[in-house]
Amino acid sequence: MSVIAPNFKFSEFVKSLLDNVFWIILIFSLIGLPAVQVILFYIEMPVIDGELLTPFLALTWLADPSRTLPILKAFMTTDLFRIAAFPGFGFAALIAAGTIFIERKMLAKLQLRVGPFYCGKIEGILQLMGDGLKLISKEIIIPAKADKPIFWAAPVIFVATAAAFVALIPVAPGWVVADVDVGLLAVFAIIGFFPIITILSAWSSNSKFPFIGGIRALHQMVSFEIPLILSLLGVVILTGTLNLSEIVVSQTNFPWIIFLPIGAIIFFITILAELERIPFDLPEAESEIVAGWLTEFSGMIYGLVQLGTYLKLYAFAALFVVLFLGGWTGPMIWPPFPEEIITDGIVMGPITAKIPGLPVFSQEMLNGVVWFVIKTMGVIFFILLPRGVFPRIRIDMLLSLGWYKLIGLAFVNIFIALGLLYAGVLGPGGIL
Amino acid sequence: MADAVFLALSVITIGSAIAALELRSLIYGSIALMGTLGGIAGFFLLLDSPFVAMFQLAVYVGSIAVLILFTVMLVKRELIFKKIEDKRRKFVGIALMLVFMVALGSVIMDSGIKTITTDEPAVDFRSIGADFLTYYWPALILMALILTGSVTGALVLARREDVENEQRTD
Repeated sequence: MSVIAPNFKFSEFVKSLLDNVFWIILIFSLIGLPAVQVILFYIEMPVIDGELLTPFLALTWLADPSRTLPILKAFMTTDLFRIAAFPGFGFAALIAAGTIFIERKMLAKLQLRVGPFYCGKIEGILQLMGDGLKLISKEIIIPAKADKPIFWAAPVIFVATAAAFVALIPVAPGWVVADVDVGLLAVFAIIGFFPIITILSAWSSNSKFPFIGGIRALHQMVSFEIPLILSLLGVVILTGTLNLSEIVVSQTNFPWIIFLPIGAIIFFITILAELERIPFDLPEAESEIVAGWLTEFSGMIYGLVQLGTYLKLYAFAALFVVLFLGGWTGPMIWPPFPEEIITDGIVMGPITAKIPGLPVFSQEMLNGVVWFVIKTMGVIFFILLPRGVFPRIRIDMLLSLGWYKLIGLAFVNIFIALGLLYAGVLGPGGIL
Repeated sequence: MADAVFLALSVITIGSAIAALELRSLIYGSIALMGTLGGIAGFFLLLDSPFVAMFQLAVYVGSIAVLILFTVMLVKRELIFKKIEDKRRKFVGIALMLVFMVALGSVIMDSGIKTITTDEPAVDFRSIGADFLTYYWPALILMALILTGSVTGALVLARREDVENEQRTD
């Protein structure tokens, strides 16, 4: 008879647990607490409710749940929170994860399959977590004659560039990581990095299929960057600004897609090409060249590239929303925060809990986020949809589409914008 | 803060420029060239002109560096490069560079750059556009004509009539 642990003794199990607890408490009190105090001493602490937040006060407040909200709110105004959590990386990664799941389920439904089903009981909702764990635990195989530094660096730089793109997207009024004056130009500059990373990673793996895929990606991205930039100039002409937040504010009455539908369509097609999605997925055509420039990636390197790809997808969809669909603007649907909770506190029978610091977010911000997410998910849906419908096109068709048709249409769009501006319909001092 | 950033940018720019010249691997050399061009974009950011910096990134790093990379990858380097290792040439080159740097430096120092005030707000790109369309319009039109001419010339040179019928274009 085989048992899993033949020498198992319950008393020794309990002893090992107690040992662990002892060492954890010892290490925490000797190293952890002084380290926390030292860190809190050197960080510039905010002033909350008129008193400076000293490290001792911070620890006391953290232990008191009714007083942690002001600390949380002070933390939410810091740059770290913006970069790591809300309008930045965490939010985008969450939407990217949702996108991957929706893509797999929707594609399965379109092809009369089931898709992810067993992982997580309800419609395979934990499949993504399982895939992530699998990728992390897998070995990273590097081809024998690969150029190691570039091969390692390329996926990391890819994710970093996609995250830099995400940082420029305004999600709600005032909620943007980098509110730069030349935001749209910064977007163009960042988009220009993707072909370099792609071709370098493809070259560095020293393998045929990645190199073919990389060359194709370079052709495709470089030739579609030009109509992409040209198609956005119409919006810039009408708004007279390059700041993405100001472009959103200029659309409070009507989104620009009403007046510049041609520009929106061109931009959407170029998004599909820049993201290497079907029907423009020649760089990773899995039925011709294995997986294109991703062929030699394995393990978490592949995971990083996928993460970067979906961050890029979110960023492009959000850029479409910001430029053409009005960003966070929309009718107020979020209910106002109940006044009596602020004045009286939460009453539960005999207990009354007064929580200072409520409401955490303003009503406008929550409403803006809701509208932004709804619109972005709609655009992402339309980006995903062609994958279940269209076949892949040939590379000469792709290039002639990019260089002849889209660039010509983009100029038509610019002339429409100029006409609207000089006819006095729109723009600064227009009648609408 | 600005001084530290300036020093770091100088080290990056000059270091990667030297690396671009000295590295044996062509790919790494072009990556180093990208570092130089990006460092120059950083200098423009320090000089309160993000507009120029972004164009530097988009044009030089995003297009010209890609072009160089692409060319380097498709070239067999044994065919075009012969190793010429000559100590005297190297030292003469370094001496020539020093002479040029001293001359340029003295010209720049004499040009009144020291009187520039720092910590000014960023240059508004709208005023750049307005200047281009009003005072500098002959330069703009000249640039446009040169660019159009070169693009047309490139298209004419790249046109190959012998293979046109073999490719399906529909």
